[in-house]
Amino acid sequence: MNRGVSSRLRRFLATPFARALLALLLMVGLGIAFNADGAFFRWSVHRDMLRQVSVYGILACGMTVVIVSAGIDLSVSSVLALSAVTFATLTLPMGWGATTAILAVLAAGAALGSLSGFLVARMRIQPFIVTLAMMVFARGLAKVVSGGKKVTNYVLAPDGSSQVVDLPRVFELIDSRVLGGNLSIVTVVFLACVALTWVVLERLRVGRHIYAVGGNAEAARLSGVPVGRTLVAAYALSGLFAAVAGICQAAQETQGDPETGMGYELDAIAMVVIGGTPLTGGKGSVTLTLVGVLTIGYLQKILSLNAAPEATRLMLTGVIIVCAVLFQRGRK
Amino acid sequence: MPNRPVLILGLTLALASCVGDGGRGHAGTPDDPFVIGMSQANLGEPWRVQMDADVRAAAEAHANLRVIFKDAQNNSLTQRAQVEELVEQGVDLIIISPKEAAPLTGPVAAAYRAGIPVIVLDREVQGDEYTTFIGADNVRIGREAGRWIREALGGKGKIVELKGLMTSTPGQDRNQGFLEGLDPAANPGLEVVFSGEMEWLEPNARTEMESALATHDPIDVVYAHNDPGAHGAWLAARAAGREEEMLFVGIDALPHEGQQYVAQGILDATFLYPTGGAEAIDLALRILAGEQVPKRITLGTRIFTAENVARGGDPIE
Repeated sequence: MNRGVSSRLRRFLATPFARALLALLLMVGLGIAFNADGAFFRWSVHRDMLRQVSVYGILACGMTVVIVSAGIDLSVSSVLALSAVTFATLTLPMGWGATTAILAVLAAGAALGSLSGFLVARMRIQPFIVTLAMMVFARGLAKVVSGGKKVTNYVLAPDGSSQVVDLPRVFELIDSRVLGGNLSIVTVVFLACVALTWVVLERLRVGRHIYAVGGNAEAARLSGVPVGRTLVAAYALSGLFAAVAGICQAAQETQGDPETGMGYELDAIAMVVIGGTPLTGGKGSVTLTLVGVLTIGYLQKILSLNAAPEATRLMLTGVIIVCAVLFQRGRK
Repeated sequence: MPNRPVLILGLTLALASCVGDGGRGHAGTPDDPFVIGMSQANLGEPWRVQMDADVRAAAEAHANLRVIFKDAQNNSLTQRAQVEELVEQGVDLIIISPKEAAPLTGPVAAAYRAGIPVIVLDREVQGDEYTTFIGADNVRIGREAGRWIREALGGKGKIVELKGLMTSTPGQDRNQGFLEGLDPAANPGLEVVFSGEMEWLEPNARTEMESALATHDPIDVVYAHNDPGAHGAWLAARAAGREEEMLFVGIDALPHEGQQYVAQGILDATFLYPTGGAEAIDLALRILAGEQVPKRITLGTRIFTAENVARGGDPIE
């Protein structure tokens, strides 16, 4: 009996999930040790950490799907910016309703993702190249849509006059909190994205196909998996999540900034990898990514709470990424 | 049916007038306006977009000026090529806001030696082979912000400083000037209780401010090195229900950004970091008229608060 429990525990501790969890716990321990005069023990600090990490986390959900398919999506940060300016442009100067604007932005994000997927699957261009091109293209498009300026509630009329319009309620709604002010809406959105990704990867046939294609595309093809469609679906999902993240970013910034989100794709990749999903594809899960997101989130929060200098933060983040990955690999 | 040889001849002439130095030495009349080449380091930053807009607005007031705008997209070598192109095109004067000093010193000097006056805006080049430099003084602007905060607090209070990229000169200068103006040594009641680096970015400022709010209560003033930073801090304070507790002070005061934030009651003060665009056109006209101009012009700043923002702020000389 006792031995059964301990061997089951040992088996659990050898899983990637347990290792990821352990890294997260170590990080929380670090927070307890460096608690910035007790600030770390207040829920509001954790709530703010969750808010702050949510946009990255949403990107990381899509990134997980693409990485499991043995690809990479560098374009998420630019699609985020494009979505943010499109959302702001549709709702502010153009005065669209929130629902139509959100649906339009989500459709655009999924369409750009599908285009990347199409180029990867049908044109046989490497994912790195395709999404690098998409990253540059979408950033340019964001500048075109916004006219190179931040889109704010300070609106220029066609006759050249300007006025301040009320920020649509949807901005405040997304940037508000629920559960008595204890959880940000963007965090709820993030958790919903995690849940959706989990369903897609673990419960739907397309999810099984994504694992199969990521593990060995040729073997998958021979066993009748529609490789092309599967890849398009993976990148479309990533584009969709990037659009969700863009809407959240715009709401939190109360504007659409064509320069926003620069470099977020690397944070998202780091979160996936720290969680324990290997870049080689075919393995991993979104629950691992969730743990990875929290690990990075706590690291950033602890450094920020203690007002660590920027240089220290960068070096520590680098060291911790390597440590976390080594830790993951510790035992097969 | 147009006469084809005439058309070709016309096109050739039109082309010829665009290339080579056939155009050098325009008369400066509405029929033959002076041509000014404006080389901008990049149009990714709103402040630089504003600089081009200021140049354009100032030039449009003069029928005898035409400005060619170039965007170097934050690439020094692109900008170098653009300066060389402008020389080739035979412009009458060059305005350049260089990306960085070293790679652009040579091209600017070459244009200057070729007899084309060069106005250098905002960032400097090395040596003295240019006509005149126009720039603002970040230390001075930071000092004014520090002084304003000291006076607003009456010499006592807790301050949060959200710094720009501290490896950049504007970040260092806005920090140094601020501490000089605040003068905490002579005012022991003033204390910078939290200092975070937000790298000019609004989302980062919000994150840093959340940390400041979690560790310090109360906070009396937030001083951010740019207006988006101050706005991000305000968003964080509002989310915590504490935005009324403190003053928010920013820098840059772009018309569509900082000035709007002040008009909307989000920021309590912002200090203009002037683009020098209008001044450059003024100076260009004087140079083209053969006047001698000073080698170096340092621009003053303006303060915008709720009471003066409608009338365009007040100058601080």
